[in-house]
Amino acid sequence: MKHTLRTIPALMLASALFGAGPIKLLNVSYDPTRELYQEINAAFAKQWKAKTGADVVISQSHGGSGKQARSVIDGLQADVVTLGLAYDIDSIAEHARLLPANWQTRLPNNSTPYTSTIVFLVRKGNPKHIKDWEDLVRPGVSVITPNPKTSGGARWSYLAAWGYALKKNNGDDKKAEDFVARLYKNVPVLDSGARGSTTTFAQRGIGDVLLSWENEAFLALNELGKDKVEVITPALSILAEPPVAVVDKVAAKHGTTEVAKAYLEFLYSEEGQEIGARNYYRARSAQALAKFPNRFPVLQLFTVDELFGGWQKAQKRHFEDGGVFDRIYGVGR
Amino acid sequence: MNKLVSSILFLAFVPGLAAQTPGSAPSADPAPPADAAQPLSPSPQDQRIQQLEQKVDEMDQKLRAAERNKELKDQADAETAKNAATVTADTSGFTIKSNDGNFLLKIGADLQVDNRSYFGTGSGSFVDTALLRRVRPTISGTVYKYVDFFFRPDFGQGTTVIYDAYAELKYFDFAKVRIGKFKPPVGLERLQSDDDTTFVERGLPTLLVPSRDIGYQISGDVVKRRVAYAVGVFNGVPDNSLTDAAVSDHRDYAGRIFLTPFLPDDRNPLSGLGIGIGASSGNVDGEALPSYKTFGQNSFLPFASGVTEAGHRTRLAPGGYYYLGGFGLYSEYGLTEEGLQKGTLRRDIAFRAWQVATSFILTGEKKGFTSPTPKRNFDLKNHGWGAVELAVRVGNFSAEPGLFNYGFASITTAPRSAHEWVGGVNWYLNRLFRTSLDYGNTNFGGGATAAAGGNRPSEKALILRFQINFI
Repeated sequence: MKHTLRTIPALMLASALFGAGPIKLLNVSYDPTRELYQEINAAFAKQWKAKTGADVVISQSHGGSGKQARSVIDGLQADVVTLGLAYDIDSIAEHARLLPANWQTRLPNNSTPYTSTIVFLVRKGNPKHIKDWEDLVRPGVSVITPNPKTSGGARWSYLAAWGYALKKNNGDDKKAEDFVARLYKNVPVLDSGARGSTTTFAQRGIGDVLLSWENEAFLALNELGKDKVEVITPALSILAEPPVAVVDKVAAKHGTTEVAKAYLEFLYSEEGQEIGARNYYRARSAQALAKFPNRFPVLQLFTVDELFGGWQKAQKRHFEDGGVFDRIYGVGR
Repeated sequence: MNKLVSSILFLAFVPGLAAQTPGSAPSADPAPPADAAQPLSPSPQDQRIQQLEQKVDEMDQKLRAAERNKELKDQADAETAKNAATVTADTSGFTIKSNDGNFLLKIGADLQVDNRSYFGTGSGSFVDTALLRRVRPTISGTVYKYVDFFFRPDFGQGTTVIYDAYAELKYFDFAKVRIGKFKPPVGLERLQSDDDTTFVERGLPTLLVPSRDIGYQISGDVVKRRVAYAVGVFNGVPDNSLTDAAVSDHRDYAGRIFLTPFLPDDRNPLSGLGIGIGASSGNVDGEALPSYKTFGQNSFLPFASGVTEAGHRTRLAPGGYYYLGGFGLYSEYGLTEEGLQKGTLRRDIAFRAWQVATSFILTGEKKGFTSPTPKRNFDLKNHGWGAVELAVRVGNFSAEPGLFNYGFASITTAPRSAHEWVGGVNWYLNRLFRTSLDYGNTNFGGGATAAAGGNRPSEKALILRFQINFI
């Protein structure tokens, strides 16, 4: 942060001397963050202009988190990545070496400015009486969720279901697998990302329940209207921690390292936290959360580290080619 | 789809209605239930309707899911197609190209089958034969957008020789950097691709320039592509030769400039004019001696035993062409002055050659530095005959008298000059296939008297070639 503060006057001077055009940043993010970052970008640009006198224009790219990570590895010039889960940024660090392996230690809270969880979006009146995870495996219940091989949100949903079954069955892994297999047997469509699944559920009228990021569920509720859908919060779910990181090599090449860092640090500011909470992300700041009382129901949350030994292990066992998901989804088909 | 659902619902309701008590009209004031306090249990008809509604809902969901899955598959297919490499097979060869064009692989081939016949007293010792003149598969392409590669071996005439193997960085059109084995930038006709030459064998000036050499070259097109240049450093090879390694520490420095001042204005009658000069210079020490061959591909100037190249070698090769419509005029001059040594005697000997060739395409195609593309491919059913071209050339080769005077060659076995004329007809069946029939007469002068007591007798050769080339 000190370095950033030292750099700001230099940037102001450079901007004044050379009349440079706006600084351009590309934020490569996951599917349901469009609205969040539209608001964040406007607020940050305003703040940056006030601090440095320089204009900054932030472009957004959205898609399934895994797919977005693949794009960055393949050359998409992201100055920052704000993805659905840490494993996807780990992949960028490992395969493209665009940022160091310890990227997650560079910002507070494991570089996760907000958290979220997985909830259910059902049709008005909840005609299938879906209240908790157990209801999702009933015959005749159609569940909409994206493909966990490409979507970060879907991986959270998958692990949330698995975690629920593990806890219910006293850690019996076989029963958990059987539960998740039955759940995916009820999934008629696998979109590649969360936004696609929302479209499938809300616009195409397919399915009885959408497994959704909490923020995505509330955005759908606001958009579609309370007379169309309802949000159901299960008693138990997973603590989803979507992280953020500067893509060091790309930012260095573009000369945007300082502004990219400041951009991500802005997410932790009170203003950034409030924007997050307003967009239905569970802010880290109690002060920001307090401004939205009753917005976030209290529920029991478990973490990936607790039940799955971290993302690397979870990814390898469940989502890599030939992993558990491939097996059970094949069975489900 | 809503219509479909409505129809199904309608059909579902009809049997339900039909199942009502036959003949009983709906009552406007139905009798109250016997026990109004008890909840009504659904009638069988209602249950039936509910079941059918449920089935319709299930069918509707399945239909919607199938449509959505198809939509997603179409999207995924479109995305895959967008990023997929394209594979093409056409007259340019077989090509695999990445979607962004940055990576390209081409597979081509050059096959020439010759039938050589010799006539006259001077040709008695030569065997009429059919042979594979060139068998050259070609692998070429581009990696990372700016780096071209080219690999071409030759399996013709019972040998295996790598003719071209190079990579070229083409980031700047005006300064392309090439490394590897390729044609040094000296002789104009040598730089012309073998499938584009007007005659089946190149003319006498090409005997005085290197065939292939290993080295480094910078080349480019400047002044709106009207000036082409190339300069390079090479191992150094004898005239009309190629090797895979240097035999001394000396290097050849080669360069060339070629002007096409009236390009690219096709309306200008001088747009087909090109003129330039190539040159090379370098020391030689112990290199093999050159082999000079007639049109019939027979060596005609044997050096005396014990002679080696030593000293300095300079080449000069001005040349040019003029093409207008189907007419072509081509001329080139070659000079090589090289140091020869026999025992302790060293002398520089000059070899000179020239040629003038003219040609005309009878079928209306345009003549150029590359082969013409027939207006109508050969196709009897559609009255297509391809393109037909007539051509003639004259040329001369001579060595200075010192060749004999200093004992580098014997007047009894080697002529000091050769004069040729060649007439030919080319039939281009299409872009890939070509048949040529050339007759060449070579007269010798100034030596080779042992066999006939005078000059070496003339060599008369008829060469029929079938050629397929795509790259």
